[in-house]
Amino acid sequence: MLGTALLGAAVAHARSPPNVLVVVQDLDDIQSLDPAEGFELSGVQAFTSLYQRLVQPDPADATVLRPILASRWEPGSGPHSLIFELRADARFASGNPLRPEDVIFSLVRAVKLNRAPVFILNELGWRAYDIDHQLTKLDDHRVEVRWSANVGPAFVLSILSSPVASILDARQIASHLSGGDNGNAWLRGHSAGSGPFQIRTYIAHEALVLDANPLCPAGSPRLGTIVIRNVADAAVRRLLLEVGDADIARDLGPDQLAALAGRPHLKILQFPSASIHYLLLNAANHSNPALANPAFWQAARWLIDYQTIADKLLKGSYEVHQAFLADGFPGALDTTPFHLDVPRARQILERAGLTQGVHFELDIFNQPPFGEIAQSLQASFARGGIHIDIRPQLASEVYARIRQRAEQAAWLYWIPDYFDANSTASAFALNREDGVATLAWRAGWHIPGLSSQTEGARAEPDANKRVQLYLAIQAEVQSNSPLIIALQERSRLAMRDNVQGYRQGLNADMVYYDRVTK
Amino acid sequence: MRGLVSLVLTLVVLVVVTFLLLKLSPIDPALARVGDHASRSAYLQMRQELALDASWPLQLSRYFGRLFHGDLGVSLSSGQPVADDLRRVWPATAELATLAMAVSTILGLALATIAVRRVGRLSDGLIRLISLVGNSVPIFWLGLIALLVFYARLQWVGGPGRLDDAYEYTIAMPTGVVLFDAWRSGMPGALVSALSHLVLPVLMLTAYAIGNVTRLSRTTLLKEMTQEYVTLARAKGAGELRVLLHHVLPNAAALILTALALTYASLLEGAVLVETVFARPGLGRYLTTALFGGDLPAILGATLLIGACFIVLNGLTDLLVRLVDPRAR
Repeated sequence: MLGTALLGAAVAHARSPPNVLVVVQDLDDIQSLDPAEGFELSGVQAFTSLYQRLVQPDPADATVLRPILASRWEPGSGPHSLIFELRADARFASGNPLRPEDVIFSLVRAVKLNRAPVFILNELGWRAYDIDHQLTKLDDHRVEVRWSANVGPAFVLSILSSPVASILDARQIASHLSGGDNGNAWLRGHSAGSGPFQIRTYIAHEALVLDANPLCPAGSPRLGTIVIRNVADAAVRRLLLEVGDADIARDLGPDQLAALAGRPHLKILQFPSASIHYLLLNAANHSNPALANPAFWQAARWLIDYQTIADKLLKGSYEVHQAFLADGFPGALDTTPFHLDVPRARQILERAGLTQGVHFELDIFNQPPFGEIAQSLQASFARGGIHIDIRPQLASEVYARIRQRAEQAAWLYWIPDYFDANSTASAFALNREDGVATLAWRAGWHIPGLSSQTEGARAEPDANKRVQLYLAIQAEVQSNSPLIIALQERSRLAMRDNVQGYRQGLNADMVYYDRVTK
Repeated sequence: MRGLVSLVLTLVVLVVVTFLLLKLSPIDPALARVGDHASRSAYLQMRQELALDASWPLQLSRYFGRLFHGDLGVSLSSGQPVADDLRRVWPATAELATLAMAVSTILGLALATIAVRRVGRLSDGLIRLISLVGNSVPIFWLGLIALLVFYARLQWVGGPGRLDDAYEYTIAMPTGVVLFDAWRSGMPGALVSALSHLVLPVLMLTAYAIGNVTRLSRTTLLKEMTQEYVTLARAKGAGELRVLLHHVLPNAAALILTALALTYASLLEGAVLVETVFARPGLGRYLTTALFGGDLPAILGATLLIGACFIVLNGLTDLLVRLVDPRAR
């Protein structure tokens, strides 16, 4: 201890340097920083800083798409075609100018690589065997994009605004090819984009260091460097922020945020998040027939103590939300007709003859806040005469069981993959029994009629009609499905009060560091 | 030669057992890789790339085939060759464990010696209590408390991470041993920063190791104190300190060395909690992350390295024991 004191006396602590933003979060989830492959939360959060797409949501209003690497677009040669004119002055961080070849290379590459996020591009009907015929260079500044799926241009633009459609510097990648991998191995830890930042260093499970890209077509960012450090423990992240060695701390628990509120030199920013939590009851699990009974689904809706979970247990980090489209999406249904009502639930169960020995197993992730939520469910369902066995497991284990429909019930969360209602609707309200493991399929919910409505809404070109269609679909899922949506997350970040200009949107990729100053 | 054959056989058995245990795990490595939202086509492609549909003997034989050529495969969770990952994390753990072991050995032996000289008295009781606390207090909790007091409140030492932000990811780290790399950087501040960030994690590991070292050394020394040669030495007029240092300690050295080696090995693979609390890279954290993600190549690579460390440490301990104790030759 004496040694500690002596050393401490000699150490002058350097706080985070002035031109460097230090962000602490859990980075262990990152598997790849190749936008055609990476699909983990931390990686997706970085993509908007590293890469740009032809079009992207406006950071101030995500419902508005802005041309970014495209300067404009117009209808193409057919109903399933768009022509994009590229920004003449756009350059990648390497200095190479943007060309139609880069657009074609990036989109073809993503489809042929066939990694996790490719299903987003597959929505356009793009497959590895025909993608080469869907993209054409018209001249040095224009590229034509075609698609075979029955969807309108607005939907196509939404798809092209997702991170998997990021435009890469084909010439830079050409010098990093390895065994026909299209640069995949190199791009896992390097960047070749035109975003406001570029990767200086990526050390897996340790840190992602980004340097400003002065050539970014949208303008150079305000800060020179962002250091995103992997600090797995939330309590340690809080300490780093309090001391000033970190400028932003992500993923702090409700208790930690409550403790930091009002502290000098710190502030807590709150952003809406598209992440929703729901209870999945698996009607396809024949070992527990009660789960297939719609009366059981109804009773369950009245046995969740939504408000207490949101306000008391999770201390405002979530709000009650009972439709699958998160608030902020066009067409989100904002009604919350259900609340804890034990007598009503008991009445429904009695009418259905579900009074004796009703129970189910609830799979949850073995991490906060799932344990707290599950305990609340256990208590409130017990009041309705339903016993819950909680089964905490690793996330990968839970997902493996759900994909096989081996679970009885699970408390899960959902984050849209791209900024369009179809991303979520096609999960909650589409089950064609064709082997596609949508959430409706995983719940064993047979919905041929509703599936047609969902496909119709995706193809609908009129934006207002589309909104009406999605409102009706949400109302059906809200009232009559084995998918009981309960909460929407509020993303809350703690940061030093000298950090200004940080912006964040609804979806996971909408993290903007380019205007941050400190 | 016999030693080498034994080493190889042990490692082969270790890999086979680890592999079979992982096959019993409910984690689907392909699903962990592509995520829950991936299409069936992407999922099946990943299964094919990971050769998960092949029989397990075939998978195992392929692994050994690559291993024979020095290829540990590519980690699924980091996307990097496992050999590169291990080259990065292993020096960090070795540095931490070695420093902690050095401090534990010096302090532990000193405390054990004092305890033996004052057996049954208050100081002996206190030393036994310290040993017990070091072993029984959760290191995760102790680490957080230490950070709160000495880093956040008193600001005497560096906090999580290996260097202050001004140096971290700025100086080159060719060896992965932060003290050496900081010294080589030519920036005096970097070396001070590295030392400052090492203090608490080393002390936390020491708190754990010192309990083992003190308790085992005390027990061994006390047992030796009852031997006839001790009585003879005392009868010939030797003082207690001389008896302890010149007669008892050399005779107890073999057992103490074995205890030290086992403690050191446990630090090499068991520093995961300290690495997590202090946000330092290391083998323990690497292996834990790999286990949660079903990252087979990383798990097997890390297991091989840890196994090799145990075997090498055992061999070195045998050698040392023979050197210091003629009875073992």
